[in-house]
Amino acid sequence: MFVLGSISFPPIGELLNWKSILFGGSALALNKIGLITLAAAIITIVMFALAGRGAKLVPTGLQNFVEYSVEFVTNLIVLDAMGPEGITWVPWLVGMFFFILFSNLFEVIPFIQMPATARTSVTIPLALISYITFVAVGIKRQGLGKYLKGALIPKGVPLPLLPLLIPLEFLSTFIVRPFALAIRLFGNMLAGHLLLVTFAILSEALFVKSLLLIALPLPFAMLVLVTGYEIFVSALQAFIFTTLTAVYIGEAMAGDH
Amino acid sequence: MHLSFIFGANQAFNPILPATGEIIWSVVSFIVLLALLVKFAFPPVKRIMTERTAKIRNDIEAAEKARLETERVLAEYRNQLEEGRKEANRLIEEARKTAELMREDLLRRAQEEAADIKRRADESLMIEKERVMNELRSSVGDLAVELASRIISYEVDRVSVDPLVVQFLSEVGARAK
Repeated sequence: MFVLGSISFPPIGELLNWKSILFGGSALALNKIGLITLAAAIITIVMFALAGRGAKLVPTGLQNFVEYSVEFVTNLIVLDAMGPEGITWVPWLVGMFFFILFSNLFEVIPFIQMPATARTSVTIPLALISYITFVAVGIKRQGLGKYLKGALIPKGVPLPLLPLLIPLEFLSTFIVRPFALAIRLFGNMLAGHLLLVTFAILSEALFVKSLLLIALPLPFAMLVLVTGYEIFVSALQAFIFTTLTAVYIGEAMAGDH
Repeated sequence: MHLSFIFGANQAFNPILPATGEIIWSVVSFIVLLALLVKFAFPPVKRIMTERTAKIRNDIEAAEKARLETERVLAEYRNQLEEGRKEANRLIEEARKTAELMREDLLRRAQEEAADIKRRADESLMIEKERVMNELRSSVGDLAVELASRIISYEVDRVSVDPLVVQFLSEVGARAK
C-alpha cells in the first residue's frame, strides 16, 4: 500500500486481481472479468433479439438504436474500410464493436466499475482473433504465396531495398499489428480505470478529512469529468479496434498493398 | 516503496499478464456472441432494414410515377382547354361573320324596298298629276267659254268656238309645262 500524506492508494494489483466466483483454482475460474465479458455478450444478443423480434417497419426505441448502430458500423466502418465487398462482415464486426463497447462501459457502471478490457486476458485474445481472421481471409482469398507476396513486398520498391523492407513489413503486419491492437485497448482502458480510481480515492479521502474539505470540489469535479470522458473513450476504443480489424480484413481481401 | 506502488504488494500478481480463466471466459463469450449474432440475432434486424429500404425505394418510385402521370394528365387538360378556347374563338368569329352578312343582306333588302316604294309613289304621283291636269284642262275650258260668253255678252255658237278654245288651252298648257 502506497501512502501519500494520510491518503492510501491501493496497489494496482489489488485493483485488477479479482477473486474467482466459480470453479476457483481450476483453469475455468470465473471471476469479475469473466462475468463482465459474459454480460457484454448477453446484453448484445438480448438487445438484437429484442430489436429483431418486435421489428416494425417504422422503428421505435431499442429497434431504432440497434438499427442505427448497424448503419453506423456499415457506413462508417465497413464501407469506408472494406468497400461494398465487406458487407458480409457487418454482423461479425457489429458483434465485435458491441462486445468491446459493453466490456469498456462497465468501467463507469456503479458498483461494477471495472472495464474487462483493462485486462490483457481480454484484449490479447480479441486481437488474436482479429489477427487470425485477417490472415485466414488473406490466404483463402489469394492463396498463401500471393498473400505473403502482397503483404511483404511493397509495389514499386527497387530490388536492392527489398532485403531491408521485407523484414520490416513482416514485423509491421504480422507482429506489430496484433500487439498494437491488444496494447492500445488495454492501455487506454487501464489508464482510464486508474484515473477514475485516483480521483475517487482523493475525493473520498478529502471527504473524510474535514479540514481539507475546501479542496474537495476539485477532485470530485475531476471524477465527474473523467467519468464522462471515459464513456467517450469506451466508444472511441471500440470504434478504433473494430475499424482497424475491418481495415486489416479489407486489405487481406483486396490483396493490394 | 516505489516498486510496491507499481507492482503492488502481492508480487505474485502481475497486472499486465493475462489470467487463464479470464482468457477462456472472454474467448467463449465472444465466440458464442458472434455465433448467435451471425446465425440468429442479426438476420431479423437486417431483414427489416432491407424491407424498409425496399419499401422506401418502391414508395419513391410510385410517387415519381404518380407525379409523371399527374403531369401528363395536366398537360392533356391544358391541351384540351387550349383547343376548347380556340374552338370558342372560331365559333365567335363565325357568328360575327354570319351576323355581318345578315346585316348587309337586310340593309340591301331594305334599301331595295325603299327604292321600290319610292318608285311606285313617283309613278302614282305622275298618274294623279296627269288626271288632275286633264280635269283641269276641261274645267278651265268650260270656265274660259263661260267667261268669254259673259265678256262678249252674247251667245256664241259653241261649235264654232270650241276649236278656238282647244287651241288656246294647248297654248296655255305649253306655257304651264
